[in-house]
Amino acid sequence: MQINGEWLLFDDGMLRPVIRGEILASNGAWQPAEFLVDTGADRTVFSAPTLLKLGLQPSMPQVRLGGLGGLANSVVVATQVRLTRETASAVVFRGLFAAVTAVEALDVSVLGRDITGLFAVIVDQSGNVVCLLGQRHRYLIAQT
Amino acid sequence: MVAIVLPQQDGKMADKHIPIIMEEVTDPEELAKARAQRQRFDRNSAWLQAHATEVYARYRGKCVVIAGEELFAADTPEEAWALATAAHPEDDGSFIRYIPREKMARIYANQRRVVAV
Repeated sequence: MQINGEWLLFDDGMLRPVIRGEILASNGAWQPAEFLVDTGADRTVFSAPTLLKLGLQPSMPQVRLGGLGGLANSVVVATQVRLTRETASAVVFRGLFAAVTAVEALDVSVLGRDITGLFAVIVDQSGNVVCLLGQRHRYLIAQT
Repeated sequence: MVAIVLPQQDGKMADKHIPIIMEEVTDPEELAKARAQRQRFDRNSAWLQAHATEVYARYRGKCVVIAGEELFAADTPEEAWALATAAHPEDDGSFIRYIPREKMARIYANQRRVVAV
């Protein structure tokens, strides 16, 4: 399984690895979202503006997430994240996901190790590669 | 769908052994819908990338929704979504981004649950 992303330009002029996906909303629609591929993030976290559109009710009491900027209030919601495979088929991840509740807390949703930990993750800016590899896909490190 | 049950890592969810379930979508109709939506999403995302420098400079501190390859900016996500939905109610490939007030180096990592209220 190969799930591809790309390096996208952010507001500070930096390129960051992003995988596009969709999140299942309370009305049964799939809401597109950009996910920053953050290999250091423990968990997948939805941004507050995206959470608003999802209309999901929290599944757990309010929790707080810790990062370098301090603590951020968040909720946990039960939903699904859908990513597109290299074959143009799709794979969904069903479970409990965190979402921050303050707009300023995250400019973009984050794909954390609850999902990326299921794959080999390649974020190679010089090679212009962002992808998740699993199942029968593997990578090879070669010296030229 | 083909379901594979996998343990979630870290935090209280892992402590409770609540799994993430990974499923491959195999329904042709659902896949066709997903592909069509993804194409619209890709077009909107490409539009933002093509206009990134202008958008980021002009809309700091705003929420921006890209729908129908157009930008809708507002102070709150509610307002931005409302503007976009009114203009392009059919576009299910729209997405939102918050533009931070200031340029700064960011560290997103180490999001972990520390306190339950």
